[in-house]
Amino acid sequence: MTSLISLKQITKSFKSVRALNGIDLEVGPGITGLLGPNGAGKSTLIKMLLGLVQPTTGTASFLGFDVRKEGRQIRNRIGYMPEDDCYISGLSGVSAVQFSGCLSGIPKVESLRRAHEILDFCDMKQERYRMVDTYSTGMRQKIKFASAIVHDPEFLILDEPTSGLDPEERETLLKRIRLLASQMGKSVLISTHILPDVQAICDDVVILSHGKVRLCEPLATLNRTAEPSFCIRVLENIDHFAQALEKNDVEVSKNPDGTVTVASPSPKLPETIWNAAHQAGVSIQSLIPARNSLEEVFLSTVTDSAGTGEKD
Amino acid sequence: MPINDVGYRSLKSRTESSLFRWLAICRIGVQLALKSKWVKRIMLAAWLPVTYWAAGFFVFEKAIFAEQISGMGQGVDLNQVTSLALTESITNRFSIFPGVDDLQEVLRTGDIPQIRNTAWRWMLMIFFRYPQAITILFLVGFIAPSLISQDIRSRAFLLYFSRPISRIEYIFGKICVPSIFIILVTTLPALCLYVVAILMSPDISTLPQTWDIPMRIIIATFGLVIPTSAVALMLSSLTQESRFANFSWFVVWGLGHGAWLTIVLATSLQMGLPLFDPQVMQSEVVSNWSAISLYNSLGSLQSYIFGFETFAESWRGIVSLFGITAFSMTILYQRVSSPM
Repeated sequence: MTSLISLKQITKSFKSVRALNGIDLEVGPGITGLLGPNGAGKSTLIKMLLGLVQPTTGTASFLGFDVRKEGRQIRNRIGYMPEDDCYISGLSGVSAVQFSGCLSGIPKVESLRRAHEILDFCDMKQERYRMVDTYSTGMRQKIKFASAIVHDPEFLILDEPTSGLDPEERETLLKRIRLLASQMGKSVLISTHILPDVQAICDDVVILSHGKVRLCEPLATLNRTAEPSFCIRVLENIDHFAQALEKNDVEVSKNPDGTVTVASPSPKLPETIWNAAHQAGVSIQSLIPARNSLEEVFLSTVTDSAGTGEKD
Repeated sequence: MPINDVGYRSLKSRTESSLFRWLAICRIGVQLALKSKWVKRIMLAAWLPVTYWAAGFFVFEKAIFAEQISGMGQGVDLNQVTSLALTESITNRFSIFPGVDDLQEVLRTGDIPQIRNTAWRWMLMIFFRYPQAITILFLVGFIAPSLISQDIRSRAFLLYFSRPISRIEYIFGKICVPSIFIILVTTLPALCLYVVAILMSPDISTLPQTWDIPMRIIIATFGLVIPTSAVALMLSSLTQESRFANFSWFVVWGLGHGAWLTIVLATSLQMGLPLFDPQVMQSEVVSNWSAISLYNSLGSLQSYIFGFETFAESWRGIVSLFGITAFSMTILYQRVSSPM
């Protein structure tokens, strides 16, 4: 795997506070979710990648450039959508996006054309001519996203991109991010607290806690459970089915949505499930491999790191 | 979906040189400043003195021209009667302005090219020091305070610094905004006045006699632009509320000049002479403390640039301006770096 981000023993201290504490991290192409509780060091890590803060110790390269010395080249190739509600008062939406393009070196007229193109892509209609000061949170998020991609960067850093969006807008934005990654070959680093967003679009997950990388795995690996298990929905009474499974030494847990999750180390688990259904006289409506929920993984990782007693 | 929505496409355009990214910051700053009606009004008002000064150049050139016609065949020197009349008239009307002594001295020589050069320089210096300096005080007070404070308040600095823009470029782009307005109300009208004066003069020979004046105008502009913009932006960078920066800007000017005026008043009372009497103004205490006023320091620098003060006379003002600019730029750089 080609590493786009490569960090080796990175520390960053602000006086007595150690925000990043010996981070080793390799991030490849695709969409990577950056998770962590508040104060974990996510924002510091992002600012360091942008070349805005210098690491205290360690070596870091981003897109092949040294973070310490080549911040400008890095910022030329990335698009950053900040979490903060930052905007330039007095500008219309289209002017704000055009200005972002100009700051990245796109000539003024071309930047205006590109701003309209990107705002069309972001589904901003006539409201693009209104002052940014009058925008709702959702519209400001769109403007920030448009500003981040106006110069066609090869890498996107999105800080809480879906916060403040209604479910429909959130889904649309995630689709756009997915499209940029899958069709345009962009790599994306998403810092968020909304775990379903990560579950929905990310290829890899990085969990930071107390300034350290606690976990860096592909999402597919995290989803895999420790032993073979399935999530089953039946048409008839699920209790009879559960009793039949338990008689066959299969661990059964009922889910709130009316399904059951069954787990067993036995390689003959699927056969056992069908036999139990036959014995209980129920029809299986769906049988899908069970997954670990990201929330469980996140909580267990963060709790474990807190349990070690490490502080910032 | 808009009819012209083409989805996301790769950008094929070439990017501009990174040397001119600050231009985008400057352009947007000017664009936003021009939205204010008050800025437009001040700009308009700033050009009104041009008509008065243009009339001054006209009257001066007319007097010289009439003298040249009557004195044809007798050289180009002013005769003694005209010279004395002009000297007396200037003494009576403009005695409180700086540089009058030099002007009178040159008038007594009767050498027209020298008189023209000195008189033009003097008129332009007064133009810079009085009407335009006061206009700049208000214009910069309206424009500069919001330039950085609003970026801090709305956290827009992240928009700038996540782009290939350095802090120096950001500061330079921002400094250019008040500078452009200062140039529009000082340099441009002063250069226009120079052109008017050339057109009013009898022939093109005035050009070699006064070639140094446009240079002095441009240098005086730099002397005006750099300290004022640096102080205004430093104040803007110290707060998230532009009104506080606005207030501080007027306080910096008012307090310094007010303190100096108090010294002038005290000295005049001590000497038993009227306020602003030349003897009071030339007294050691008043001269030594002149640099506490930003207005006086700028005036002193302009007098030096236009050739009405020697370095020995104006060094306090120049050193004070240099110190203020260096201090302001250091604070400004620190403040712009600190939000990170």
